[in-house]
Amino acid sequence: MKSKYFDEWRAKYETMPGAKKYPHVFSPITIGKLEIPCRIKYAATEDNLNTHDGYITKEDIAYMAARAKGVAGGICTMQGVTTDELKMGQGYKGQACAADRKFLPGLTEMANAIKEQKAVSNYQLMHCGRVGGHWAKKAEGPSAVPQRLRLFEPVEEMSHARILECIDQHAFSAELGVEAGFEIMEISGIVGYLLSNYLNTYTNRRTDEYGGDTVEKRFKFVGDIIRKVKAAIPEDMPLIIRLCAWEQLDDVNGNTMEESLKTYLMANEAGCDSISITVGWQESTVPVISRDVDQGSWLWVPKKAKEFGLKAPVSMAYRLFKAEMADKAIADGVIDYWENCRPQIADPLMPLKFLEGREEDIRWCVACNVCLARLFRDAPMTCYINPTCAHESQPDWYPENVHTDDPKSIWVVGAGVAGLEAAWTAAERGHKVTVFDKNAEAGGTLLDARQAPYNDYELYDVTTHFGLAQCQKRGVEFKYNTEVTADMIADELPDAVVIATGAEYSKPAAWEGENIISLHEAINDLKPVGDNVVVWGNKKPAIGCALALAKKGKKVTIVGEEKTTGKDINPSFRWRYAIFLAQNGVKVYSDATIKEIGDGEAIVRYYDGVKFPVKADTIVYAERVSNNALKEACQENGIEFRLIGDAATPRGVSGAVHDGYKTGLRI
Amino acid sequence: MAFDAEKEITSLWRAFHGVQDDQRRTFYQWRQAALELLGDKADPMEVADKAWEVIGIDTAKSYFPRTNLSKPNWLQSLASNIVATWMMRGAKIHMEKGENDNEVFIIWDRCPYPTTAKSYGASMEEDLAGCNRGLEVIVEQLAAFTNKKLKIETTKAIPKGEGACVRRLWVEE
Repeated sequence: MKSKYFDEWRAKYETMPGAKKYPHVFSPITIGKLEIPCRIKYAATEDNLNTHDGYITKEDIAYMAARAKGVAGGICTMQGVTTDELKMGQGYKGQACAADRKFLPGLTEMANAIKEQKAVSNYQLMHCGRVGGHWAKKAEGPSAVPQRLRLFEPVEEMSHARILECIDQHAFSAELGVEAGFEIMEISGIVGYLLSNYLNTYTNRRTDEYGGDTVEKRFKFVGDIIRKVKAAIPEDMPLIIRLCAWEQLDDVNGNTMEESLKTYLMANEAGCDSISITVGWQESTVPVISRDVDQGSWLWVPKKAKEFGLKAPVSMAYRLFKAEMADKAIADGVIDYWENCRPQIADPLMPLKFLEGREEDIRWCVACNVCLARLFRDAPMTCYINPTCAHESQPDWYPENVHTDDPKSIWVVGAGVAGLEAAWTAAERGHKVTVFDKNAEAGGTLLDARQAPYNDYELYDVTTHFGLAQCQKRGVEFKYNTEVTADMIADELPDAVVIATGAEYSKPAAWEGENIISLHEAINDLKPVGDNVVVWGNKKPAIGCALALAKKGKKVTIVGEEKTTGKDINPSFRWRYAIFLAQNGVKVYSDATIKEIGDGEAIVRYYDGVKFPVKADTIVYAERVSNNALKEACQENGIEFRLIGDAATPRGVSGAVHDGYKTGLRI
Repeated sequence: MAFDAEKEITSLWRAFHGVQDDQRRTFYQWRQAALELLGDKADPMEVADKAWEVIGIDTAKSYFPRTNLSKPNWLQSLASNIVATWMMRGAKIHMEKGENDNEVFIIWDRCPYPTTAKSYGASMEEDLAGCNRGLEVIVEQLAAFTNKKLKIETTKAIPKGEGACVRRLWVEE
C-alpha cells in the first residue's frame, strides 16, 4: 500500500538534484505493508514544549511541522507519548501523554500537522521506565535497582498486576494514536526506558515470568506489549520498535551484544515490521552521539545485526549526519533507511536541502548535546547552533518574515561566527551589509579553536562555512585584511555598526617573560613551547589548547579561577572533556590562581590559600577579555551600534550564533 | 631524594577536602536518621536546632583554653577561632575589625553547607537557622565563661541569596 503522497513525491524526486546524487536515500522502501517514497526518518525526541500534564501545545506542533517538512516525504516521528496518567512513565517535564481520550484532540492535531507537510506520520509509545517518574518523583521498573545517576528518581518494582495494567495501557495509547490518524506505530525501548529495563540483566532481577536468566525469558514483557499493540492497530499499519543493539553496560553486567541482537529477532518474530537500532544507555559511560565520536562510527552495529540474521528493514541514527554516508550505507545493505534526530534539531530542513541540492544552506549539528542537557534540566528544547529551534511558532523569528522598511548601510566588524550570523540575517531583511575582518579569512576565534582535538574542527566548519554561504547568497560584501578604526567610522559614517570583534587573550599585567605566551601563539606554533606547560584559564579555549598541546607530547597543567573547569561547556558534553583531560594526563587546578611565576615553575594558589609549585617552562594564557574598542567611536559619532558575541562578553560558539542572529533580526 | 611538592601538597589538599565533604554529609545523614525515627512527629527545624546546640556547646569548649582576656584583642582572637572552625568545615571566611576593639565582623565569602543541605532536601531556612543557632550557642557559652556581654547577629546570609554571610560579634557596653 502506497503512503498518501507517495506518487507525488516520487514524481518530484525525478526533478530534484539530490535524488540523483543520493539515489539510495531517495529510493522507495516498504515497511510492513506501507510504501514510503524515500528512506528518511526523523527520529523521536522529547522537546519539553508541551504542558506539564501532557497536552500538546501549538509550539510543539510547529516544531514538529518544521521537521515534517524537512523529511521530504519520509517518516516524521512525534515525541514519544507516555502511556499512564500517573506519570510513572513520564521522563521529561513536557512529555506528551496518551493515557486518556482527553489527549486525542492534541494528538490528532499533531498527526494532521505532520501529514500536511506530506510526510508519513509516526507515533511513538514511550514509557521511560527508570528514567521516568519526573512528576511522580518515583520511577517504576522490573526491579528496584538503585539509580547510577543522581538525576533520576528512585525505582519501585512493578507488581504483576501493574505489569498487566502497563501492557494494557500501551495498547490503549496505541489505539488513541490510530484514532488520531497516525500512519505508523512505534514503540521505544532504548537508552534505559521501560522495555529496555525488562530486557536487561542489570535492571531486571525478577524471578517470576517477567524475569529470568536468559534474554528469551526477559523478553516476555516486550513481547506481550508488541503483541497487544499489534492487535490494537490496523493490520496494514507498520509497527516499528526501537531497541538497543549494544547497551555498553558491561561494567554493571548488562546484556551482551549477542543477547541484545537476539531481541531484534524476537521483536521481529513477535510482530515488529522494522527495527530502529540504537547504541548505549543513559547510564553507560561510553559516549555515542557526542562530537568526539566520528561520523559513521556505529555503522558496524546494524551490519552486525543483519549478519546475526535480522531480516526486517533496519534504520539507525547516531552520528550519521551526511547524506553521502547514509546513501552508501543503504547501497551496501548496512541499513535500509536513514534515521536522524539531532541534525534535524539543528536544521529541520536538512534532508529537504539535500534533495534540493542546497547543502551549503544546511546548519549542521555540532553534536554538543545541549538539547539533551536542557531536557534533563526541565528546560524547553533549544539548540546550540540553531537560534530558531523551539521558535517555529513565531514567524517574526525568521528574517525572511521581517523585511525592513528602512534599509541601512551596516558595517559588521569581525567575520567570526557572530559577525557572519548578524551579516546574513540583516542582509536577508534588506539591509546593505559589509563585513570587515583584519584577518585574511573568516572564522575569528574558531581559527584557533579548530585546532583542538576531538573533532573541534567541526565547530569552525559548521559555523563559518554556513555563515559565508548565507552571506554570499545575499550579496554581503567582504573586506578582509582590513582593520576598522575609529577614524574609518568617523570618516564614512555607516548607518549602523555591529561590533563583532571577538575577544583577546589576556594576562595579568605583572606577568612578563619570553616564556609567557598567548593561546594563539601556542596553538599555532608561533612561539616555542617548553615540555612543561601551564595553561592559564579553565574555560573551553584553555581546555582545547591544553589538549592540543598534550597531544604534542607536552606535560600540561590547567590553572583557572572558575570553580568548575569547562563551566562554559554544556553539562552533557563537559564530562567528555573531563575524561579527555584525564586520558591525556592533563592536571587541572580549578578555583585557583597563579600567584607567582618563577624559574621553571609557577606557584599556584587555591581559593583557600593553599600554595604549591607546578613545573612550568611555558605559561600559556587562555583567559579572554572582550575587544570592544570601537564602541566609543560609534557613541561619539552617534551611530547605532550593537555589541555581540565575544565582543560583548567572551562565551562559547552558541552565544555568538544566537547573538548574531538576533542582532541581524532586529537591527 | 626527589621530592614532588606539587604532588604531596595537592594530595593532602584533596584528602582534606574529601574529609570536609564527608563531615558535612555525615551531619545530614544523621539528620535524616533522626527525621526518619521521629516519623510523623518530625520537625526538621527542631532537629536542626538541637543538633546545632550540641555542636555549639562542644565547639565553645575547644575555645575556652585559648581565651585570654588579658590581651586587648581577645575578641578578635575569639573571632579567629570561629574563622578557623568554619575554614575547617570548608568555608572561605575572613574576619574584619569593627569600629573599635569591642566589635568584629566575620564574613563567609563562600560556604558549602547550603549546597549540601539542598542535596539532602533541607530548606535554606533550616540551613540558616541551624548555623545561626550554632553561633549563638558558642557566643552564649563564651559569654558565660568570660562573664562578658558577648553578642552576635547575622546581617547578611548566603542561604537568603545575599552572596555572603556577615556576622557582627561585639561586646555590649
